[in-house]
Amino acid sequence: MFINNFVIKKELLNEYRNNTSLFLITPTMAVLVLVFPILSENRFVVDDDFFIINRILFLIFFTTLFSIRNPINENKLRRELNFANIDRNYFFKFKTVSEFIIYFPQSLILLTLFSVFTNTGVESNLFYFIISVAFFSINSIMVNIIFQMFTTFSNRFVQFILMVPVFMSLSFFIAPIWLGINPNLSNIYLLMYLGITILISSYANWFLQKDLK
Amino acid sequence: MSINYLNVENLTLGYGNNIVINNLDLSLKSDKNYQIIGKNGVGKSTLLGFISSNFQGNVFSSNIETEKIRILEISNLATIDNNLSLIENCFYFTKGKIPEEEIILSLEQYGVHHFKDDLVQNFSSGMIKRSEMAIAQIIDPDILCIDEPLNYLDKQGVELLKILLAERSKVGKGNILSSQESINIFENNYEMIDLNVY
Repeated sequence: MFINNFVIKKELLNEYRNNTSLFLITPTMAVLVLVFPILSENRFVVDDDFFIINRILFLIFFTTLFSIRNPINENKLRRELNFANIDRNYFFKFKTVSEFIIYFPQSLILLTLFSVFTNTGVESNLFYFIISVAFFSINSIMVNIIFQMFTTFSNRFVQFILMVPVFMSLSFFIAPIWLGINPNLSNIYLLMYLGITILISSYANWFLQKDLK
Repeated sequence: MSINYLNVENLTLGYGNNIVINNLDLSLKSDKNYQIIGKNGVGKSTLLGFISSNFQGNVFSSNIETEKIRILEISNLATIDNNLSLIENCFYFTKGKIPEEEIILSLEQYGVHHFKDDLVQNFSSGMIKRSEMAIAQIIDPDILCIDEPLNYLDKQGVELLKILLAERSKVGKGNILSSQESINIFENNYEMIDLNVY
């Protein structure tokens, strides 16, 4: 089974023991969801469009917090991979899978909580919604790995500042779909997003392979 | 079979602009044991890291020829994962290929089997070193590098280390140790690489 892979098992156990994302970040974000519209418009009832934009904004914040939760220590990682004789590329392939397994359900939980708390939904059907979140997840995980590998962030704030614009540009493809453009245009957006996903995945793969010595 | 797994001429290693090892010639064979000795800061750990592919600094103009063999390093810093239990670490580092019974036998030998379900973050440095020795024994690499081999180990731990190194030498597998002074407690012959003279 895929989930029985030793890298995925290790990453999932680490996440389970750390509890940073599911038990800390998601509830914090949920509380912010409740407070934000009141703070921004000083009232409880605001437009649906405003909520959809907010939903994307919160997804970006959530992704950024998720990304900086557990920085990769290049020194330790190198020693670990050499000790276990694991190919770097193999490791990152399964790390990406495990990150997706951790991140994707949590982002869905967050977006569902957003709907529950604000009594709003998105203007597209469930299929488009889930596929767009899945693409966003894959892309943001890949971008996160690239960012963490090419620079060692001693300061998480710097990492936060650098990553938010990238995640913002990735969410540009989601916004029109959630705001309810017609299905044909949605398909085109999703295809474009698929292209971007393949491009980023290929780049991440190349980036990690070129580092092999 | 003896393999000449590393041949270097004018090896120069450093971090940034700071050169740590300058113009070192080295030829290592897989069935020989070596001891790297030198004062603080002469580059023992750097050289050990270079041999075991864990070096992360700059390699300046050097002629390097390598043969691909399995080299494992037990460094001064813990390599095993703090958030995993010992047995989970063993499964991870052996890629889940070794049966649990065999792993437990090895852990028993090193006296850490009682802690197999405990998280490594609660381990002492000595226990971590013993655990890494046990994992190294299970993996059985072609070359075993140990940085400051006696650090953190008690008398019994040192005896276990001696047995591990002796058994490896018996079957023609090499060991590389790095310390400030020559360690004479090991039975096998160790060729010295004295970094004080470079």
